Amino acid sequence: MKPFPIDDEGTLGFQIAPMVDVVFVIMLFFMVMAGAVKVEKELLSRLPGSAESSTPTEFNDETIINISDEGEVSLNEDPLDTVDSVDLPQLKATLMRIKENADNAKQPAVVTIVSDQHAKYSRTIDVLNALAVAKITNVTFNVNDD
Amino acid sequence: MAGGGGGIEKGEPDFQIAPMVDVLLVILIFFMIITSAQVLNIDKTIKLPIAAEALKKDDSRAEAIVNVRWDPAGNVASFNFQDKLYSKSADLVEPLRTAKIQGEKNAAEKAGQNPEFRVVIRGDRDVPALFVSQAMNCAAEVGISDISFSTVNHD
Repeated sequence: MKPFPIDDEGTLGFQIAPMVDVVFVIMLFFMVMAGAVKVEKELLSRLPGSAESSTPTEFNDETIINISDEGEVSLNEDPLDTVDSVDLPQLKATLMRIKENADNAKQPAVVTIVSDQHAKYSRTIDVLNALAVAKITNVTFNVNDD
Repeated sequence: MAGGGGGIEKGEPDFQIAPMVDVLLVILIFFMIITSAQVLNIDKTIKLPIAAEALKKDDSRAEAIVNVRWDPAGNVASFNFQDKLYSKSADLVEPLRTAKIQGEKNAAEKAGQNPEFRVVIRGDRDVPALFVSQAMNCAAEVGISDISFSTVNHD
């Protein structure tokens, strides 16, 4: 059998089957790669202080989340979740309740994150992630210099 | 030859390879696009923290990207902005100010673009929070209040 079929005019015929094979292999490669692709996303924050206001600011009940140098998270001085917990389920549940109460009272939920200066930045992101789940956007970030 | 419908000869439909190749190529292009859509080309020395609830990055804004690197061997943090390395955060203020002026000028010239300039902080997951705070302070000093933190969807 000839490797390429040659027609009456002596030209090589186009073989579709090997092309389909190759396309399948390339497609499989990209399908596998699609599952492993890293996507860079963002958590939004807005610094206080630059907002212009002609009316007096109302101070609401502020929630303070502390992050210790070892990564322990406490809400209004009550420790929540373990140091190893990345998902912070207790914090998420509490924040969702706070958000719900604030919405019922028609007031914004205000949260301040106070992190120890030696605490890892990834822990701050874990807390910001929990705040994003609770849909709390009024967040300020502080570092404890002591 | 049968029509474009299905090539029915002797009551049985023929297998049409041409539409199959068309569909295969479309699927191939789809997967090629989604795998190459995100290229992490900003500072690959940084291991970004993971956040499942983070939003899709808004690429249409005028922004300055500040990379906060961490060297665990020397316990030293450094700031990388516009391919220049700064050991002190205070040195970032003037380049950020220049970038803000330039970014706002460019945004004003483009119709439909959000004119508010923002800072994107790409901090290493192991860097102490103090250095991220210092980068935020620089942004505040320049008058940028819109700050976002870069994360990745998984390891």
